[in-house]
Amino acid sequence: MRKIYLILLLAVSVSGLTQNKQVLYNFTSVPQSLLVNPGTDISYKYYFGIPLLSGISANVGSSSFSAYDLFANNGVDFNTKLRNAVNKASKNDVVSVNEQIELFSGGFKLGGRENKGYISFGVYQEADFFMYVPKDLALLALDGNQKYIGKSFDLSQLSVKAEVLSVFHIGYHKKVSDKLVLGGRAKLYSSGLNATSTKNSGYIYTGMSNTTMYNQIISSNLELKSSGIAEYLEDDYNGSIASDIAHKTFLGGNYGVGFDAGITYYPKKNIQFTASVIDVGFIRHSKEVENLTYKGYYQYEGVNPNFTNPNKPENVFDEFEAAIPRDTLYNKYTTWRPVKFNSSIQYSFGESRLDEECNCKTHNKTEYLNGVGVQLFVMSTPRTPLTALTAFYRRTLLQNLQVKATYTVDSYSSKNIGFGFSTTLGKFNLYAMLDNILEYKDITKANSATFQFGLNFIFKENSEEN
Amino acid sequence: MKPYLHNMFLRLIIVAVLFCSCASDLDFDQTKDLTLEPVIVANLTYFDVKASAFVDNGTEQNVFFDAKDFDVFRDSFFRDNLKKAEFNFEIENTISRAYIVGMVFLDENNQVMHDTEINVPAYVNTPNSVKHTDVFENQTLDLLKKAVKLEIRITMLAGTPLTADSSGNLKLRSGATLYFEIK
Repeated sequence: MRKIYLILLLAVSVSGLTQNKQVLYNFTSVPQSLLVNPGTDISYKYYFGIPLLSGISANVGSSSFSAYDLFANNGVDFNTKLRNAVNKASKNDVVSVNEQIELFSGGFKLGGRENKGYISFGVYQEADFFMYVPKDLALLALDGNQKYIGKSFDLSQLSVKAEVLSVFHIGYHKKVSDKLVLGGRAKLYSSGLNATSTKNSGYIYTGMSNTTMYNQIISSNLELKSSGIAEYLEDDYNGSIASDIAHKTFLGGNYGVGFDAGITYYPKKNIQFTASVIDVGFIRHSKEVENLTYKGYYQYEGVNPNFTNPNKPENVFDEFEAAIPRDTLYNKYTTWRPVKFNSSIQYSFGESRLDEECNCKTHNKTEYLNGVGVQLFVMSTPRTPLTALTAFYRRTLLQNLQVKATYTVDSYSSKNIGFGFSTTLGKFNLYAMLDNILEYKDITKANSATFQFGLNFIFKENSEEN
Repeated sequence: MKPYLHNMFLRLIIVAVLFCSCASDLDFDQTKDLTLEPVIVANLTYFDVKASAFVDNGTEQNVFFDAKDFDVFRDSFFRDNLKKAEFNFEIENTISRAYIVGMVFLDENNQVMHDTEINVPAYVNTPNSVKHTDVFENQTLDLLKKAVKLEIRITMLAGTPLTADSSGNLKLRSGATLYFEIK
């Protein structure tokens, strides 16, 4: 019972956001932008990321309350803050965390000068946590049912997913013509840990009654599917969870496949359209699988001394367990990756004159210094998809310093300003991006924060000509 | 190489500024102060006894029910976190006799941990409903937590004799209000 309260608390206190990478998207001087659109118009002779440092990204936030709301060191009682946070939240508020670290990555151009095909590949580790705020259950834990006679506490609000996985991927993109770039990426997922409980239903109800004091019903259809977790919950487990998860993430035996696809198209020289779909794929969980269910209907009446039925268990615990048994199943199951869709349209202007002194590079492609446009991001969730709309401005400053600023409207914030830059010193590329800049005056009050950071070595396509 | 170094320096400053942010002092140790104080209401016991049950072969009798399991405190969650309890009884009598309804909470060794007696007046054409509340705190609560059985005894007081055909019922419904403090 205590455990349930702890889990509830944890659920309410962890904060997070979606996987929108609005600054990185279509940031063509950063190879990692291929991970958000395999059809990004990017060229290189070859590149490789500095192992473990080429792509680090994290995403935290919460659509209703911030870390400050809960943990501020301001003398207000924690219980009061928790209560306020729960009251502020609605059942559609989301709490999610996403983190990605590239272990290694690289890419190269195929064949001779006439070949316009590029390969990119790598391995990254990803952790996802996504849940809706189970407001009814939080209220029940905080207040009990006394204040809520006649109310049904909705168990379907319990919706949570957690996953730690590694992704092995290889992608290919080709400049089909001056106007069109197509790309795709195949992915092999290896799941180290999965917990999914998204199809719950039922209610807990207390009303008034005539024969008994209350009419108390628990109707439960709860299911938690998990793989790779059971071991840690055993009493005699004494290993290191972190290293065991890391080990299983690569050799766990729960595998899946998926793909990304993307396109860049120039209807006119200075108009660019892009679109991508990321993580269309599934993972089949067959090893270390454990599915817990609580399914049943129980009406609690209390002790009735003149009712004798020898077949009916006499005490409330046995009665409850008979009505809503805890079953453990070991069925294999499949989870779908959250699918992400990105699209953008960009208008470019201000032709580059940086290469004027050295006209030896006979580019038939005009380089523009500025670009403005809009982007759309949609991600699938257990309920309605999450959507974000971004307006952006990108500019090339100095030589080899690209910057991009974004303004995003989504369910977490209506004034999310992001900024990113990428700079190349010789072959060395450094990029950093973050969003919710307005909140940086006090990051703890932000409802969400995202950053990406990475280091690469990029050998440009034209470097052989220098 | 020199301009590169110069640029590099500038750029490092830009990076440093970018990652510079203010943050309020957060105190995650506060979670230790977490105290949940839910108030739960639940059914306790109920019965509905007909007047005829107090007559056996023409002789009046009291009704003593067999002791029933009452073992919510078998669960350590209840033992550890319950800070206060209230038992609310409501009795409705439509029999023309007065009663004493006794609730006896017994421990494993059949020792009385708590005993409540509720006086119920006889029915005289108008329905009467008796309400009674027991509050358990500190020592009384500690005793209650040892209870594993509940015995209900209905003693009939003197009055107009009942027959097997006498009308009326003695009804009881009751609920518990449990005040938890979960740390």
